[in-house]
Amino acid sequence: MEAATANQSGLEEPILEIDNLTVFRSGKLVLKDVNLRVDRGEFVGIVGPNGSGKSTLLLAILGVLKSQEGNIKIYNSKPMSRKLYGKIGWVSQAAANLPKDIRITINELVHLGTINAKNMLNWFPMKDNGQRKRVKAAIEMVGLQGFENFDIGRISGGQRQRAVIARALATEAEFILLDEPLVGMDRESRNSLLKLLDRFCHDNGKTIIMVSHDLSAIRQTTHRMIFLEETIRFDGPSANFPDLESLALARGITHTHEEENELWLRNLGDVKEER
Amino acid sequence: MLPELGVILADIIFPIFEYISPYVPGEFFPNFFNGETQALQRSLLGSLMVTIIAGFLGSFLLVRNLAMIGDGLAHVAFGGVIIGIILGASTPLWYAMICSIIASISIYELQSREILTGDASIAIFMTGMLAFGLVILKLSGRAITTDIHSYLFGSQLLIDWENLNLISYMSLVSLIGLFTLRHALLAITIDPLSARVQGLPVRKIGLMFSIIIAIVVVSMVKIVGALLVTALLVTPAATAQLIGRSFKSCVFWTQIFGFVSVMIGLYMSSEHGTGTGSSIALTAAIIFVIIGLLSGVSKTIKLGKM
Repeated sequence: MEAATANQSGLEEPILEIDNLTVFRSGKLVLKDVNLRVDRGEFVGIVGPNGSGKSTLLLAILGVLKSQEGNIKIYNSKPMSRKLYGKIGWVSQAAANLPKDIRITINELVHLGTINAKNMLNWFPMKDNGQRKRVKAAIEMVGLQGFENFDIGRISGGQRQRAVIARALATEAEFILLDEPLVGMDRESRNSLLKLLDRFCHDNGKTIIMVSHDLSAIRQTTHRMIFLEETIRFDGPSANFPDLESLALARGITHTHEEENELWLRNLGDVKEER
Repeated sequence: MLPELGVILADIIFPIFEYISPYVPGEFFPNFFNGETQALQRSLLGSLMVTIIAGFLGSFLLVRNLAMIGDGLAHVAFGGVIIGIILGASTPLWYAMICSIIASISIYELQSREILTGDASIAIFMTGMLAFGLVILKLSGRAITTDIHSYLFGSQLLIDWENLNLISYMSLVSLIGLFTLRHALLAITIDPLSARVQGLPVRKIGLMFSIIIAIVVVSMVKIVGALLVTALLVTPAATAQLIGRSFKSCVFWTQIFGFVSVMIGLYMSSEHGTGTGSSIALTAAIIFVIIGLLSGVSKTIKLGKM
């Protein structure tokens, strides 16, 4: 709540500020003139069709792209600068990417989030600088207590995704970027995960940017939505985001239930372009 | 001058060998323990050190999907050994070490810069360096002597004090390195980008790991032989993956399987003359098969019950 008042009075620096970001990847234009400002405590959902540059935008914020024009500032620092170490939590695309043949427990995975340049050369296994406490807290936050010693290869996709998020939380980052965290999850675990993220913003004052192409899920949960297709085509409160029904009605489109999401995205693109 | 670490270790550990020697089975096998021939004690000590460090390294190699790098660097090291012998070096392992450290770093650079992904870079260095060694061997007008041969298949009985000192130092350095880097290594393996965002020096850690791999492989070449390095490096760690439930427990089981392989292998080779390196490698492989079958059976039983 403290964050909200600060925002309104405009005293607080934005967490993320992007000016005229243009990105080429292997010679192809992926992002063009992206301008974005994110304040503390915001829960921002970025949607867009496949190949629209959503993941690229996140990578640019993280500062791992080779060629880009424009300006990005996080906490008033350039991406990947020393000052930002430990301030950003990164949850990469689909926890499915975790190698499944590696025997590593949830506890061990989350513990990796507490490693930084200072404590990585820890000589004494007994001296843990409060790392164990952070691991425990992170695991509890995502509701995986009781599963600490389960092997990540042998838990469900939803649980694995939670474990990966717990790893990001264990860094104690204030600003969390998630790339497609909802892929491969059933409706129930998806909803509880979204609730969880919402709570982080509200109660813990974290700032979250989540990329997904699950439109309806994001629209229900996030405060602010961005529709990205090469550049930002919509940016505003999630409530103002056009829903599929109205889009379809406006253009006289009937759709099958399976393709609902894809269609919505495609239509959005067309509509915005015409405007 | 560095103290002779091998001698110091021998002073501590040989009495332990001698103490347990009466309980060791076999006709010839107890000679590894009882101190009648120090060469045998040296070879046992060397084998154990190499097994311990190979097990630790192997656990990390498997998670980093680098199982074949041991084989590759061993061939590079063999090429280095030939160069050393031709140049008349008393301890050609030094040449092997320089060559494999250079190769290991180059392989890492090629892979991390995505110039050559996967095993291709390993294959190039492995064959290139081996071929280089063989070509200059021919040019120098020599043939593959027993000395060179011993580096291919291992020659525990030829481990002199100088070799033992060198192997001790290599094991110590790589053990300290791996232990210090253990968390960071796991972090950059599981999720390199997150590790970078957390501020871990991913490249530096990767380079240090490459150097450690090279050192460990070279320390193994004299004992198990260039062709069989992978047996101790990868097989026990892979067996451990079958039954371990966490990274920690895998590291533990790797040590158990490595130890058992070496002991049974040494026993077989000394009692039946089957050759040390190959006996150890064969034992490790058989253990893998047995544990694999057992864990398969137990999984089927569990599934059947459910």
